[in-house]
Amino acid sequence: MISLIRSEIYKISKQSKTLYALAAILIIEGFVIMSAYYQGAGIIDLLLDNLKDSFEFRGNLLNGNLIIYLILNSLWFHIPLILMIIISGFLTSEYKDKTLETVMLQPVSKLYFILSKYIVSIVFTLLIVLILAVTTFFISYWIFGYGDLVVYLDGLNFFKSDDAFYRLIYAFLSGSITMVFFSVVSLTLAVILKDATKTWIVSAIFLICSNLLLKIDFRNDVINELFFSKLTDSWQYFFYYEIPYSTIYFKNFMLLGYSILVMVIGVLIFKRRDIQG
Amino acid sequence: MKGLFFLSIFLIGLNPVCAQEIDNDLLQIKKRMDSIKSYDAQIKLDVDISFINMPSKYGKVLYKQGETTKVTSEDFIMLPKRGLDLTLNEIFKYPFITVNRGEANQKGVLCKVINLIPTSSKSDFSIATIFMDTKAKRIVKSEISTKMEGVFTTYLDYKNYADILPMKIEVEFAVNSVKIPLRFLGKETEVDRKALKQEGSKTGKIFLTLSEIKIVK
Repeated sequence: MISLIRSEIYKISKQSKTLYALAAILIIEGFVIMSAYYQGAGIIDLLLDNLKDSFEFRGNLLNGNLIIYLILNSLWFHIPLILMIIISGFLTSEYKDKTLETVMLQPVSKLYFILSKYIVSIVFTLLIVLILAVTTFFISYWIFGYGDLVVYLDGLNFFKSDDAFYRLIYAFLSGSITMVFFSVVSLTLAVILKDATKTWIVSAIFLICSNLLLKIDFRNDVINELFFSKLTDSWQYFFYYEIPYSTIYFKNFMLLGYSILVMVIGVLIFKRRDIQG
Repeated sequence: MKGLFFLSIFLIGLNPVCAQEIDNDLLQIKKRMDSIKSYDAQIKLDVDISFINMPSKYGKVLYKQGETTKVTSEDFIMLPKRGLDLTLNEIFKYPFITVNRGEANQKGVLCKVINLIPTSSKSDFSIATIFMDTKAKRIVKSEISTKMEGVFTTYLDYKNYADILPMKIEVEFAVNSVKIPLRFLGKETEVDRKALKQEGSKTGKIFLTLSEIKIVK
């Protein structure tokens, strides 16, 4: 099992798609920072427009914490999409290149093989989120400096710089669980569909539907609380003025459960299926 | 003849609220305030607006005669446009007349109430009502109707009878709500400003607590 994991890590490190993933993340960061640099003041101005009649403002809200928050919001769509495309490719490329058949000719357990794929995919996902977080914090504070964070979530919430820093870190940690879920789903889709293009399309549709379903009220408390799409926004809850920790724990715990369930389905399908490209 | 009689009665009736140049008690308070050459104090700001969540902010307030009051802070702070003019310089910037409105009780203090009506179009307020504690020679409440920024009601609480500057200031005003999602930069932040403006206004309050006040006379 360990040697399989090592082998998978070696494969990923040698694949060009890993570099594409990192490049894509840096490009997203670059776009958000550029947009903030040119449009940020206007957006803050718009946000506080209605308060200008009554207040004078002192201090700078267009700072590193706001930029980190804006980049963090790429966890809604951009980052999971990149992850789903890259991670599904870990398996579909093996189907396409017939390397899977070669591996299976060796004394390798199908269970351990696919489990090692899942484990490496999860590690890869966490690594990407870590790189995103570290580069985001570093670049944002370096260019825009420190300052209070303002977020519009059920009203205007202002957080002191120190408080914002910890909230952003926790949001990245919580968001990584959501990213793991999408990564696991994409690998399971790769197990089911085998073909790269089909997997990318279905993964993108899954992500879009998940985001759309998040906003729909099902008028049923059980579905509203337990349906997987309703659990993918836990990281946003760190920007409510009073952090609802129990809701965050519940959502993350349930999402981990869904991830394990999806992984088990993927493992069972892979084990029962003949290896043919 | 009958009309002239009623006109005379009407004019006599108006006598108690007759306009005068500037109320003498207000001038006394202004004179007392003008004795302050400078002051500085630590300031704590708390915002009470239904759609704003903000922790207590701290800063420093600094005033020098002939200059506007300055507030500095390491944090982002929101200051009310009115309420920090403790020396009445902004009110006295342009000429006005006062009208005596009698007396009213304000937090257990019997106050003299006057209206300030600007006589210059340059003045940024249209009318102001001032509640003066004439014995302690200080203002305890003011309602200022500005031309552009709405009505600001300010309550001033003093620690001791002899204090010239208040320890607590409460500023009440109308404020428009905001509803803008700040998730992404781009189209989602394009909103209709007019529609936002048309939304009903709410009452907001800001509490300023002064400490470590150092006055130079």
